[in-house]
Amino acid sequence: MSIIGFWGYPNPKLIEETKREYPNAEWIDLDIDFQYPDKNILPESYCKIIKNIINNAIELKPIKILAPIGKDKCDSGWFVAQILKDLGFNVEESIFEEFTYKQELKICTSNIPLYDKITIITDNIIKLDKNHYEQCKPKFGFWGVPPNDLEILKLFPNETHVYGWTRCVEAKTPADIELEMFVDEGVPTVFYAQAFCAKAQLAKYLADKYNGLYIDIDDYANNSIKAKIEAFLRLR
Amino acid sequence: MIYLDAGTTYSKIIAINETFDSQYLVDSNLNKSYYIIPSALIKKQNIEIKKACGHMSNANENEIIALANGCKNYIDSDATVLDLGSRDAKWIRFKNNKFHDMDWNTSCASSTGATVEMLLKFYNLKREDLIFNEEKFAVTCGIFGLEKIMDDISNGTDAKTAISKFVHGIAYNAWNFAKKPNKIYLSGGFCENKCFVDSLKHYCKIELLGRFILCEGLINSDKELVNV
Repeated sequence: MSIIGFWGYPNPKLIEETKREYPNAEWIDLDIDFQYPDKNILPESYCKIIKNIINNAIELKPIKILAPIGKDKCDSGWFVAQILKDLGFNVEESIFEEFTYKQELKICTSNIPLYDKITIITDNIIKLDKNHYEQCKPKFGFWGVPPNDLEILKLFPNETHVYGWTRCVEAKTPADIELEMFVDEGVPTVFYAQAFCAKAQLAKYLADKYNGLYIDIDDYANNSIKAKIEAFLRLR
Repeated sequence: MIYLDAGTTYSKIIAINETFDSQYLVDSNLNKSYYIIPSALIKKQNIEIKKACGHMSNANENEIIALANGCKNYIDSDATVLDLGSRDAKWIRFKNNKFHDMDWNTSCASSTGATVEMLLKFYNLKREDLIFNEEKFAVTCGIFGLEKIMDDISNGTDAKTAISKFVHGIAYNAWNFAKKPNKIYLSGGFCENKCFVDSLKHYCKIELLGRFILCEGLINSDKELVNV
C-alpha cells in the first residue's frame, strides 16, 4: 500500500488535497518512534523526534511527505524537509500558522487517561475524532509535545489536563504561541521537552515560572526519571 | 522489622526490635539498630524486608518520597534537603512545611560518591586524607574532572590535593544543583566526607542529617506520620 508520511500538523487544506489525490494511501505520522535502525544521517546527540522522521522515511519510503516547516513545528522541521528533498523524497512543505480552523477543546480537558488523550489528539490530525468525552477539573498538568516515550504518560492520573503544543494541536492552531504558553496557574504541571528540542527553552522557563517540574528525555525514560515524575505527582 | 535503603555501593538498614549481622552495626538507639553493609552482600543475606527504596529490583518506595518523609523531623519549616550518595543527587525544598520544589540528577552519576571512592582506592588514599582546598575543578562532567585530576598530578600536585579540588568541584555543583540555597541539610554518604562538607560550607550553611534519613522515611511512611 502507498504511504503518505507527515510530521507535526500539516495544513488541513493540504491534508484534504492529498487525501483526494491518494484516496487509498495509508497515512503514517513520521514523528512516532517505530524503532527502525538509526540511519546515521543526523548527529548522534539530536532530537529523537527528528531522527524518527528521517529513519521512518527511509525505512517506509512514503510516496509523498507533508512537511510542516513553519512556527507550527520547529526550525528542525525546516531543515529535515531540506534533507529529505535532497535524499530524493517527494516533499511538500506546509505552513499552518492561521487560526481559521480553531476549535473548542474536549480531549485535553477530559478525564480519560493521559496516554489516550495524547494519542487521540495526534490521530485526530488525519482522522477526525467525533467522540464526546467527560470533562474534569485538572488535578495535574502535562505540558509539551507528544513524547517519544509515550509510556511516561501512564504515570499520570486521568485528571491530568494537557497543555503546550499538544493542546494547540487539538485546538487546530499549532502555531498559537499564546495558547502554547498557557497553563492553569496553581495546577501542578510537568513541563516536558524532548532532549535537544528548542521547545526546552519554553519548558524550563514555564516550569520555573509556575513552580512545575521540568523534565527532558532523550530517547526512553529510565527508572529514575519515572521516579522523579512519580515523586512530583505524589508530593504536590 | 527491617527497613532498607539500598544504595549503589552501600546499603543502610534500620532494624526495629530485631538484630542483624553485628559486624555491620554502626549505632543503636532504644529498639532501633543501624547498619551499613556493602550492597553487593545484601542479596546473600537471608533477610525479610518490611520496606525498601533504592537500587534494587524489589524496592517498593520512591527515594524522593522516602527523603521527604525522613527529613521532616529534623528541618526548619523552610528548608532545602540534599541527598548525595554514591550514584545520584537529589534535593527537595519545603516552604512553610510543605513541599515546594525538587530535582533528581538521575542520568550523570560520574561526579558523586562512587567516583570519589574509586579515586581514593586508585591513589591508595583514605577519605580523611582529603582536606578542603580553595581551588576547585570544574566537574560538570565527572570524566572531564578525572582528566583534570590526572593533569594536576602529572604537573606535580600530590594526589590528595588534586582529589580535594575535585571534591570541592562536586560540592560547588551540588550547591548549584540545589539552586544555591543559603542552607543545606545534607543527607547521604557525603556527610562523612569532611573535605566535601568543608567545601560545601564555603557556599552555604550546612547541617548534617547522616545516612539513615531515607530509612527513617520508610519507617515514617509505614506509620503514616507524614502527609505527602
